[in-house]
Amino acid sequence: MQGSARRMGIMTDVHRRFLQLLMTHGVLEERDVKRLQKHCYEVHDRNATVEKLEDFINNINSVLESLYIEIKKGVTEDDGRPFYALVNLATTSVSKMATDFAENELDLFRKALELIIDSETGFASSTNILNLVDQLKGKKMRKKEAEQVLQKFVQNKWLIEKEGEFTLHGRAILEMEQYIRETYPDATKMCNICHRLLIQGQSCETCGIRMHLPCVAKYFQSNPEPHCPHCNDYWPHEIPEVFDPEKEREAGISKLNKKSLRYRQH
Amino acid sequence: MLQEPQSGGLPVPQAEGEKDGGHEGETQALTVSQEALRPLLQESTKEDLAAVREEGAAASAPTRKGARASAAKALTRRRASRRLNRTVAEMVQFLLVKDKKKSPITRFEVVKYVIGDLKDLFPEIIAGAAEHLRYVFGFELKQLDRKHHTYILINKLKPLEEEEEEDLGDGPRLGLLMMILGLIYMKGNSAREAQVWEMLRRLGVHPSKYHFLFGYPKRLIMEDFVQLRYLNYRRVPSTSPPEYEFSWGPRSNLEISKMKVLGFVAKLHKKEPQHWPAQYREALADEADRARAEASMRARTRGRARASARASLRRW
Repeated sequence: MQGSARRMGIMTDVHRRFLQLLMTHGVLEERDVKRLQKHCYEVHDRNATVEKLEDFINNINSVLESLYIEIKKGVTEDDGRPFYALVNLATTSVSKMATDFAENELDLFRKALELIIDSETGFASSTNILNLVDQLKGKKMRKKEAEQVLQKFVQNKWLIEKEGEFTLHGRAILEMEQYIRETYPDATKMCNICHRLLIQGQSCETCGIRMHLPCVAKYFQSNPEPHCPHCNDYWPHEIPEVFDPEKEREAGISKLNKKSLRYRQH
Repeated sequence: MLQEPQSGGLPVPQAEGEKDGGHEGETQALTVSQEALRPLLQESTKEDLAAVREEGAAASAPTRKGARASAAKALTRRRASRRLNRTVAEMVQFLLVKDKKKSPITRFEVVKYVIGDLKDLFPEIIAGAAEHLRYVFGFELKQLDRKHHTYILINKLKPLEEEEEEDLGDGPRLGLLMMILGLIYMKGNSAREAQVWEMLRRLGVHPSKYHFLFGYPKRLIMEDFVQLRYLNYRRVPSTSPPEYEFSWGPRSNLEISKMKVLGFVAKLHKKEPQHWPAQYREALADEADRARAEASMRARTRGRARASARASLRRW
């Protein structure tokens, strides 16, 4: 009995509620995940101590293992926010049929993905994506429809849009990293620091190595004269700040105060 | 090959990745109770180790045909049970995704897209999937329609109080559904389509005007809610021009009670449920029916458990 108890974690209603809610959201920022965890304890086991999030999630993951899914932690490429997403570990033909998206929509995503990977900035313009609409497999799609499909991808957190350009959402990177590295080995860019897939980042103008923005922030933290770790040339880009959850909370609170003022005026 | 994650529903292209590992729980027969599963897991691991030893022995002594044959058999067995586990996992994912889209799952779809040639193992696979859904997610797999073999998932976790309920995006839509269910109930368990739209128009919801919370209300109500079996939509006989009416669908009957809906309506009007004596009486009768049904189900399960316990004792 001891052996199997170690292999598989224990699920209680606290864990089940957490999993259900996480599934509904798909992907959630760390501070929301912590709030979610607390909420689940309050609903189902008010007197218990809230387990450390990492252990809590590891416990659930050990149970999810036999279902080929996992709660994975990632970090957003633009500002280094930690987030959690429920990710599939193996390909199944099932999902192809049970999909939310039609064949032509999936192909649109694939085309956008290829443009994003090939780009220098990690962004593909709306125009360039829409120009490929005629090449899509499946039912013919008009540009107007394609615009809405792209918005669907953004709403479902597969793509991010910034000023008419699209890049991959952190969750898509988390889930598709292996696929991308194996399918586009030549076009794939990697971060020199963490050695993971890189879509957005900074690059050295001399030797061309790339780094994620949060990796840059951590590597050059409090370094007044940043130099390329590879060729030692001066690092010409602005060094971003390391993500600080405390500062985030303060900013959030001031935002809330502004919001409540607006409602009171009504 | 495209593949779909648990949520959001985008089939994500991923490379084939075989997950290997002895802990995969290579059970050959899936039983419904988790407690029964655990000893089976331990047993099959022993079997696994024995198979490995056999394979090792076969490798070092190629002339021992018997050892090779049994090692091959053990390998086939392991592959078969791994495939079975894989199929159960796919089934779980399929059911979760389909349920998230809120479309009832038919046995036909399940066999076509998940089970394939393992058709003979359908009962084991569905039982295994049901157990995972119950233990891991807190969902109960229920057969909605005995004739057409359709399934839905019911949330078995304790229902949240209104203060505890978080806005999950689904909230506004279900709120709209509640309004409609309330109207239907108060009108005597069916409401004409015209009445429903009149009520909604008063709330600023128009059938074909995009609403920031509900999208296109006509599509939500006429397609989604009906498809999800929350609402029934049928033609009223002998009406010309044809009129249509809504009534509660089977899923509504499973997921919510008349008393709860009456309570919701009462709160809206800032009154007590007893303010509507006819509806209150009907709701009370409905509560009694539900309690009776639950009690008889519990007795049946207890009886079954007792019978199986007796049977297993007899085996010893």
